Amino acid sequence: MSNWRQLMPDTRAYLMGKVLYQLHHTEGDLEKYLDDPDAYLNRFGLEPDMARAIRDNDVAEIYKSGVNPYLLRAHCIGVNIPEDESLKALRSVLEENNHNG
Amino acid sequence: MAEISGIYVASHTPVMLNFPDRIPEKLRTEIFGAYKAMGNDFAAGSPDLLIVLSNDHLHNFFLNNFPAFCIGCAEQYESPIEHWLNAKRRMFTGDQAFGSYLLQAALEADFDPAFSMEMTLDHGSLTPLELAGLDPNLPVVPVLINCVQPPMPTMKRCYKLGQFLAEAIAAYDNVERVAILATGGISHDIATPRMGMVNQEFDERLLDLMEADDIDAVLDHASSQVHTAGNGAEEIRMWMAAMGAASGRQFKRTYYRSVNDWYTGIGIGHFVG
Repeated sequence: MSNWRQLMPDTRAYLMGKVLYQLHHTEGDLEKYLDDPDAYLNRFGLEPDMARAIRDNDVAEIYKSGVNPYLLRAHCIGVNIPEDESLKALRSVLEENNHNG
Repeated sequence: MAEISGIYVASHTPVMLNFPDRIPEKLRTEIFGAYKAMGNDFAAGSPDLLIVLSNDHLHNFFLNNFPAFCIGCAEQYESPIEHWLNAKRRMFTGDQAFGSYLLQAALEADFDPAFSMEMTLDHGSLTPLELAGLDPNLPVVPVLINCVQPPMPTMKRCYKLGQFLAEAIAAYDNVERVAILATGGISHDIATPRMGMVNQEFDERLLDLMEADDIDAVLDHASSQVHTAGNGAEEIRMWMAAMGAASGRQFKRTYYRSVNDWYTGIGIGHFVG
């Protein structure tokens, strides 16, 4: 498999990455997100499936979106998704066809 | 005319600090001992200054503006930037004069790095420094290479950057001894379906070729096989830069272990003059 799902992120992946970046680097944003995830995510104009994937900690779907994996990894640790849960979700993609995107 | 007091390579991962208990205590003690041994060897060289070759993991830089190379020109560097990293906040002393010198020299040598007068270093720089127990007052100059978002500088270009660093150090008069620590790699995947499946064969081959001083073969292996070793293995760009700086010095691995439960091939080594 390739090291990268998208060699250059498309705009959809970029936008999702922007949310994950701001969430963990803008003072107060993590608290706002945890307090009301839907309201926070609404600010970014994400497509509904993207917002749902972030809100539901759907690690496999976020990965498949093509978001930069370092942003996904930091998000998993930053919102305390259990390690084994993240790993299981990622492994589930390995079992799918065309997991390289 | 400064001289290089030592060139070291060492893996980094936040897992070491955040989830140390995912591996058995005996193995953890062995790994942390290997970092400390590197730190002791490093200190024996009595450097006046440390160049940290590392990468920003999308903390200081985002995809709206991401440099291929960036030289730190700040008076000091706070760390860590990750709110979630299990590490004590600390302030590293910088060396603005050397950073600025390096920046100018790089431009004159046909490299076009970005520069930063305000960076908060992430786990890539902090973890090995912390585990090695390096003198907290030793001035550091970060040189960051994009290893986290394609397109990235080629392995060969990073090797050449290292050659440039050695030449620039040799031409600098304001300190006597400069050490280089290149951090990152070896095989690991970050947030992909292969996470936790270390490619030990890739790592062993890389280390063997480096010890054989077969630079062309190292660059070929690094360039053509990195896709088998994980997105985190892209960080061996820092190892290529260290190799470039090491002209005439023999590489020796001091530690290697494939640690699947830390998701990483943990490698430590140095170039002996």
